[in-house]
Amino acid sequence: MAHQLIELKDISKSFQREQTIIAALSPVNLAVRREEFVAFVGPSGCGKSTILNMVAGLLPPTTGQLSYDGAPVRDLNRRVGYMTQKDTLLPWRNVADNIGAPLELACHKTGKTGRMDKIRQMVELVGLKGFEKHFPGELSGGMRRRVALARMLIYDPETLLMDEPFGALDAQLKLVMHDEIQRIVSLGHKTVLFVTHDLSEAIALADRVVVFSSRPGQIKIVRDIDLPRPRDVFRIRFSPRFTELHEELWDELKDEVKKGTDT
Amino acid sequence: MSAQPRDPGAAAAVAVAVMSAAASRTGASESARSVFLHPVGRAAAQIAIVLAMLVLWQFGSGTLFPRVWVSSPSAIFARLVQWFSSGSIWGHMAATVSAAAIGYVLGAAAGVATGLLLGLSRKAEQILSPFVIALYSLPKVALAPFFVIFLGIGIESKIALVAVTVYFLLLYNTLDGLRDLDRGWADAYRLMGANDREIVRNVMLPGIMPWIFSGLRIGVRYAFTAAVLGELLAGNQGIGYLIESSAGQFNSSGIFAGVFILVVCSVVATEVISRAEKFVLHWRN
Repeated sequence: MAHQLIELKDISKSFQREQTIIAALSPVNLAVRREEFVAFVGPSGCGKSTILNMVAGLLPPTTGQLSYDGAPVRDLNRRVGYMTQKDTLLPWRNVADNIGAPLELACHKTGKTGRMDKIRQMVELVGLKGFEKHFPGELSGGMRRRVALARMLIYDPETLLMDEPFGALDAQLKLVMHDEIQRIVSLGHKTVLFVTHDLSEAIALADRVVVFSSRPGQIKIVRDIDLPRPRDVFRIRFSPRFTELHEELWDELKDEVKKGTDT
Repeated sequence: MSAQPRDPGAAAAVAVAVMSAAASRTGASESARSVFLHPVGRAAAQIAIVLAMLVLWQFGSGTLFPRVWVSSPSAIFARLVQWFSSGSIWGHMAATVSAAAIGYVLGAAAGVATGLLLGLSRKAEQILSPFVIALYSLPKVALAPFFVIFLGIGIESKIALVAVTVYFLLLYNTLDGLRDLDRGWADAYRLMGANDREIVRNVMLPGIMPWIFSGLRIGVRYAFTAAVLGELLAGNQGIGYLIESSAGQFNSSGIFAGVFILVVCSVVATEVISRAEKFVLHWRN
């Protein structure tokens, strides 16, 4: 059998703060297949973002083994595109130049006209037409998220790591983006790790939902989402199966959210 | 030059007259408070303050204060007119401005370059940072006599003093800027596949521009201070020399006239840098 694309074996992470060691993530085991869409939900500080950082190679695990496509992740993992929770747009570049930034690099070198075409496509995809010349400082939080999304998608990385990509978007726009991301992922045969607080979003988009418990984070349950694809993200939440899954997962999640706020 | 004793209250009277003139220009319906919020009203108030000071200075000189110390605006103005009409001032201005400018450019360029080299190599920074801090804390003016011995009383010693002063300022600002850069920017670029050179060019250089410009802005003042100090200490040219030799002759109007020219040079140079900053950092609004 072919190996899994992303494999976490007994991965844990702790940070040292002054004299005390804080466990952020208890040992976690998870394997993600190629072209699978996995959503992480759970209370704040349960280590969801930590896992994305480790898969991107930005943060080494304290214990355990993390491999990507059969090889251990030791350095930066350039086969992933990472949309971090805090956006990393360059404030001195306008929207178009931020989105096109990856295509200026030697490894994705694209001629000027090709780059302009792709930027135009991406700007339209994320609904920012007319804002090309604006600087990040002039945009709302939701618009900045969409610029970051476009910058990740423009160079077509094999795996997408997304940390609350649509948190700042209004409900309608969120659905439009869900539709787009679903289309991009299936057309581009992408593998996705998707962190969110929004359980409906996780169910609507993912093949599997992983519920994390509060700090130190560990996997509480992993649930296959057996809703057929392609999904109509605008109507899927009215389907009875969606409601069942939502109730089931919400029961798991609500205790953790409570625990998270109690401490 | 007329200086009959007069009531110092005249200054206040002039100020009030200017303000009420401004008030009538902006419309009688406005209250006194809103007059000063209006740009014209504010400018009028500022002019009034300057005029009041000048009037107080002019008429206080020789009555309230000994003239030999404070000179008077009219005497200073006469001195400036004399310097410019005879053309003797240009050589001195050129000496000071060129020492400040050459030293500034050399020092700033070297400071930014060193800052980048240190900032990009963690090892180099860790080894060298105590020396950088020690040298930064050293008041560079204390080195002035050394440069005079080493380079003579010509422009070279002034250039060196300016360059060393500006060098450490820009070095420090560059290091601060690099340290303060959002690490996420470089990480994001690295994940996109950027090499080190591309990160320096796309993230670090533009990212530290605000720090470099703040260093450059403060550096203008440092540069003129260092150049003039070098001239005060030893030399036969420059505005610093002019001030020093005026002082030697108890010529206070010469001192104030020299200071005035210095202020004008420094303000103009700072304005040039500020314009360049606004242009380069236009994204900050």
